[in-house]
Amino acid sequence: MLFGRTHKNEIHLPVKPVDKWVYTTCGYCSTGCSLEVGVNAAGKAVTARGVEDAAVNRGKLCLKGIYEYEVFESQNRGTVPLIRKNHKNAFEEKSWDEALDQTAAEISRIQAVYGRDSFAIVSTGQIYTEEFYTLGKLVRGVIRTNNYDGNTTLCMASAVSGYKRSFGSDGPPGCYDDFEHTNCLFAIGSNLPEQHPIIYYRLQEARTRRPFPMIVVDPRVTMLAQMADIHLPITPGTDLVLLNAMAHVILKEGLQDEDYIRLHTNGFEGFKKLVNEYSPEKAEGICGIAADMIRKVARIYAEANAAMTIWTMGINQSTHGSDGVVAINNLNLITGNIGKPGGTALSITGQCNAMGTREFSSCSGLPAYRTLENEADRAFAADFWGVDTRHFPDKRGLTETDIFPAIERGEIKGLWLIGTNPMTSMPNTPQIRKILDQLECLVVQDAYTDVETVQSATIYLPAALWGEKTGVFTNTERRVNLVRKVVAPPGKAKSDLWIFTHLAKRFDRAKEIKFAETAAEVFDEIREISKGRLCDYSGMTHEKIEAARGIQWPCNTDNEAGSARLYTDGHFQYPDGKAKLIALPFVDNNEVPCQEYPFWLNSGRVVEHWHTRTKTGKIGNLNKFSPTPFMEMNPRMAAKMGIAAMDYVRVISRRSSAIVLVQLTERVAEDAVFIPMHYYNCVNRLVKGLLDPYSRQPAYKQSAVRIECLMDQDEAAKTAASLRDY
Amino acid sequence: MSNPISSNTENPQLSQHGTNIVLGESYPHLMDAPLEINGHSCGASEVPNLNRFKQHGFHFNADNCIACHACESACSEKNDLPPHMAYRYVGSIEGGEYPDVTRINISMACNHCEDPVCLKGCPTRAYTKYLEYGAVLQDPEICFGCGYCTWVCPYNAPQLDPEKGQVQKCNMCVDRLEVGLQPACVDACLSNALDFGVIDEIPLKQQEAKLSIPSFTDPSISRPNIRFQLNQPLPTSFQRMDDVPMTYDQVDAQKQTETPNPSAQSAFKIKEKKPQTSSDWSWHKLRSREDPLVFFTLVSQFAVGAFLMLFLLPKWSPFSETLFLSQENATVLAGTLFLIVGLQSFALLLSTLHLGKPQYFYRAMNNLRHSWVSREIATMGAFYGLIVVYSLVTIFPVLVSWLPLQLASLLPTFLGLGASVLGPLGLYCMYRCYRIPARPFWDHWHSGGAFFSSGLILGSSVMGVIFGLTGLASAQEIAPVLRLFAIFSLFGLILQQVAQTQHLRYLLERGEEASVSRMQLKTVFRKIDTARTWSLRLLIGAAIFFVLFPPAGALGMTAWSAIFIITVAHEVVGRALFYVLVVPTTVPRGFFWGNQTFESLARKSGLAEKPQVGVLSDKH
Repeated sequence: MLFGRTHKNEIHLPVKPVDKWVYTTCGYCSTGCSLEVGVNAAGKAVTARGVEDAAVNRGKLCLKGIYEYEVFESQNRGTVPLIRKNHKNAFEEKSWDEALDQTAAEISRIQAVYGRDSFAIVSTGQIYTEEFYTLGKLVRGVIRTNNYDGNTTLCMASAVSGYKRSFGSDGPPGCYDDFEHTNCLFAIGSNLPEQHPIIYYRLQEARTRRPFPMIVVDPRVTMLAQMADIHLPITPGTDLVLLNAMAHVILKEGLQDEDYIRLHTNGFEGFKKLVNEYSPEKAEGICGIAADMIRKVARIYAEANAAMTIWTMGINQSTHGSDGVVAINNLNLITGNIGKPGGTALSITGQCNAMGTREFSSCSGLPAYRTLENEADRAFAADFWGVDTRHFPDKRGLTETDIFPAIERGEIKGLWLIGTNPMTSMPNTPQIRKILDQLECLVVQDAYTDVETVQSATIYLPAALWGEKTGVFTNTERRVNLVRKVVAPPGKAKSDLWIFTHLAKRFDRAKEIKFAETAAEVFDEIREISKGRLCDYSGMTHEKIEAARGIQWPCNTDNEAGSARLYTDGHFQYPDGKAKLIALPFVDNNEVPCQEYPFWLNSGRVVEHWHTRTKTGKIGNLNKFSPTPFMEMNPRMAAKMGIAAMDYVRVISRRSSAIVLVQLTERVAEDAVFIPMHYYNCVNRLVKGLLDPYSRQPAYKQSAVRIECLMDQDEAAKTAASLRDY
Repeated sequence: MSNPISSNTENPQLSQHGTNIVLGESYPHLMDAPLEINGHSCGASEVPNLNRFKQHGFHFNADNCIACHACESACSEKNDLPPHMAYRYVGSIEGGEYPDVTRINISMACNHCEDPVCLKGCPTRAYTKYLEYGAVLQDPEICFGCGYCTWVCPYNAPQLDPEKGQVQKCNMCVDRLEVGLQPACVDACLSNALDFGVIDEIPLKQQEAKLSIPSFTDPSISRPNIRFQLNQPLPTSFQRMDDVPMTYDQVDAQKQTETPNPSAQSAFKIKEKKPQTSSDWSWHKLRSREDPLVFFTLVSQFAVGAFLMLFLLPKWSPFSETLFLSQENATVLAGTLFLIVGLQSFALLLSTLHLGKPQYFYRAMNNLRHSWVSREIATMGAFYGLIVVYSLVTIFPVLVSWLPLQLASLLPTFLGLGASVLGPLGLYCMYRCYRIPARPFWDHWHSGGAFFSSGLILGSSVMGVIFGLTGLASAQEIAPVLRLFAIFSLFGLILQQVAQTQHLRYLLERGEEASVSRMQLKTVFRKIDTARTWSLRLLIGAAIFFVLFPPAGALGMTAWSAIFIITVAHEVVGRALFYVLVVPTTVPRGFFWGNQTFESLARKSGLAEKPQVGVLSDKH
């Protein structure tokens, strides 16, 4: 058995000596995994591990979390502020004083010349809640432009809007523990294994312990669709019809929860009248799902007693995203599946702190789910901050997706981007470049200098990354969790909080307003301002959060340990405490395939990448799984067109074109292709991005394209390789 | 199919391969010896695991894997691997038609086999199968980077790192096992797909322990310690997501029930996928990283053939006269020896430099007991030594003038005879190196046929050129000389023809990866294959012509030289094909990572220059 050895050789395995473990919450998606980073004696992050007793991830991490500590060493970090006259000039290195003075001067100048709202600000979903709060205070209280938004408009706006329309407030009512109690999971436009692997882990564990039916709606046969008991391969963009038809079946067959509807909802009659028009047979013609299958699924859902729906971008990123969310809420309201264990409508969020920006950044309102439209809310915030209430606009300004057209129209002359990369992430990116180049002043505040948007910037402010500062994130299930500082930011890079508070000092208007300097102090302010609100933080402190491995809001003296679910008593946030059932007629305004552009174009994530790859595109052990853009294409269609696997092809839409490598898979229909969203100069060049009328979120997932074979493959490969720096 | 549970309860000591899972009862002294990891030594009594001396293995539930790469990443993170390396990798196969499609993801690392072919093949003895957990561990410090283990492993487990010039592989996380933890990959698994434990003891959350699943290599090659679960209904055919042009097709269900052979429990058979027939010559596809081996093998075979002819023919009376005059010409003799030794030296140097760590070349003979590579190097090394000394004492008799006269005159004969025995023996060992079950294209006597025929063909062609020219220069009759070498060449060519015909038949019969190779030959290399068939016929015809009607004088010499050039080209192309046509048994990989087509694309397009692409650029 032991060949040819008379003694045991000593075994040498790699060791990574860890001096201390630092508690953090992952800075990628909104799952909110607790992870500890191992720091060696020299203060360098060398390894990471999932926190064993973490409520969310129970010791597990996905590949991005496993390698997250490598972002500290990633290439092209910004280490010094940069300024130039316009985007055609070269940058000059400046001190922070010069850079912040210049930023404040430009903001003041533009506002003085073109008006208060001619300077716009777009932030992110990836800085800490303390930073969002401070930014909100700076913008609403000091800069006072009303054109202030987060890039969450690209991902979560429809969910926010849908929750507000149905329940009277934002705030996902459910939690991951619902998997342990549900009797039916309905997943629509969500691909957990790829996008939220740790939530999938929780689901898988629950299903292993206690099997329950899983129904997945997705035009693509994702891994989740494959694991489902029932997969509904829906025609893109027709979810609303399916949901209306399911409600139709439930009401027709009397499967609804009459008591719940009577006690806790308004608008039932109008809703009933509308869904009556959506028979399963009618839906079959639109969605491509058999009428009997729709009936079957509706019955399973209604009769489950505890049924839950999860969704992500498949719903949010469509022309009727907000309506889709409301339709999901409708389905859950009529079956009494809100606020009970296993019965919920849970929006699976995107960015690590998309929730935090929704709660406290004031970009669509005022802190703690207060609105600009509400006079009492304005008065409260003005008083709390020491601002004259007249400085607050009485309605929300432009969203990110409306800010760009406003720049094009010449209404907005200056833009400050914080931790977001629209040159890659916005639909129709060639147009975005033209728009950005039109600005008199573009401030980009980011951790990396090679973020594509910096190409158009006039001022670049180097920011610290996740783990280079302390603060909190809120995850999908409303769990507030802590990130401790692991290492110092490189060079002169500063935390976003530092940048906000120091920029505030440049404005005379800020003299009256106190800006807390440390995250802990800001957090105390957040506790105070959120007291009594739905997102009540008053019972939390950084230390308490770390000890509990995250606490779900509301957390106050009544709920010391936080709250797993919202609306458990059926009391909603509308003044009368009732939720709304809303009638949702389906209007099909999608760009659909035609003779000239015969393919549906769908986009989405891959597990190894995060957003526009500014982080994951530089970590070899992640990036290697998809280092260059590819396109999923049906092999039978490819054979007809003479396209082979690993061929470069050009994909063309009415907007522009992109070069991708072809991957052949039966995951996609013959008339559909799928391209990951992460790459610069790729899928978002093609996307039309019609806006949802309520949320102003773009429809990324429904566009029409055609495919052209490329004769010179070697040339195509070289061109494709030259299209992006990382 | 046999029920693994019942077979286990009947005899709990035996694995499904029929081997005792309790290890090392016959090595009591090794059981007592502590296991030293990174300077910490751990005796049996200090380790909490009662099953420490039982064979352990991975259990993979293919129904559950979602290809999230967590196992792969946890492994790479723990082992501090650069992006171009991995001990574990996830690949996929896919079957069915939209929307009724089934993708099976497969996570695979080292299977710590019962019959570790890597351990047996490694010339440096870098591998050890430990009694503890039955872990097959490889010591990169000992390894000199020849990469032979990466050839013989049916699962692609050992990975050659061109940057470090050494092979590395999965170490079963023995350090974690020693403190009661699971391997890092198992710990990281998010979908209850990867498990680990005593082999054939079905893990807690799993239900079955199959020996194979579609796309997994025939377990009989090395008796791998991995068990599978796969219960979902399967489509009739699976495609690979990587570039290997084959599919897995369900064999007739009827047939399956007639052969309840547990080792052949996979109901799927590999079938070659017909690529588009190439209209161009695909010359560039003949190049591979084994190019130095094309040179090394051909030159070694030439050297053996040429030396044997040079040494033996004059001693064999019917031929002594033909070559006698030339043999008398000391300059020609010295020149010929110099050519043989020179070429062989260069080839040996190249093959040594081809190693990841050439400075450790002397470790090549560490594993004479098991490794044909060690034996090849030993025999070929001895052959080389003998011909060097033979050349020296032949060319410079003064070197041995101090010896008794009789001994000095006999010495070249002894040396030459020794080389004449060791040379063919070396070629035989070389041939045995290629009898690799995980490389079905080579695993046939044709490999040996090719090697010996090259020795004959190249040896005789060169000899013909040298002695023909010598004869011509001294106005000798060269026809008998050319005829003599044409006879040897003819033997070689006929051997090659027979070997090739047999080989093609074998490829078809063996099926699976072998028939993929055959398909490649008939499609991608169609034109080259046709040209080669005709060049072989031409060479045979020419050889027959030279045997029957040897042309004399300058005309004969010109014809011979032309044929010599064709011969060399024929041999080089043939040997290049020998290396590029191999389709190793592999477990499927992904679309980018580990896909060789993408790797060459990345190198060509310049993508590989970014280290985070995970493909080493040409610089290495």
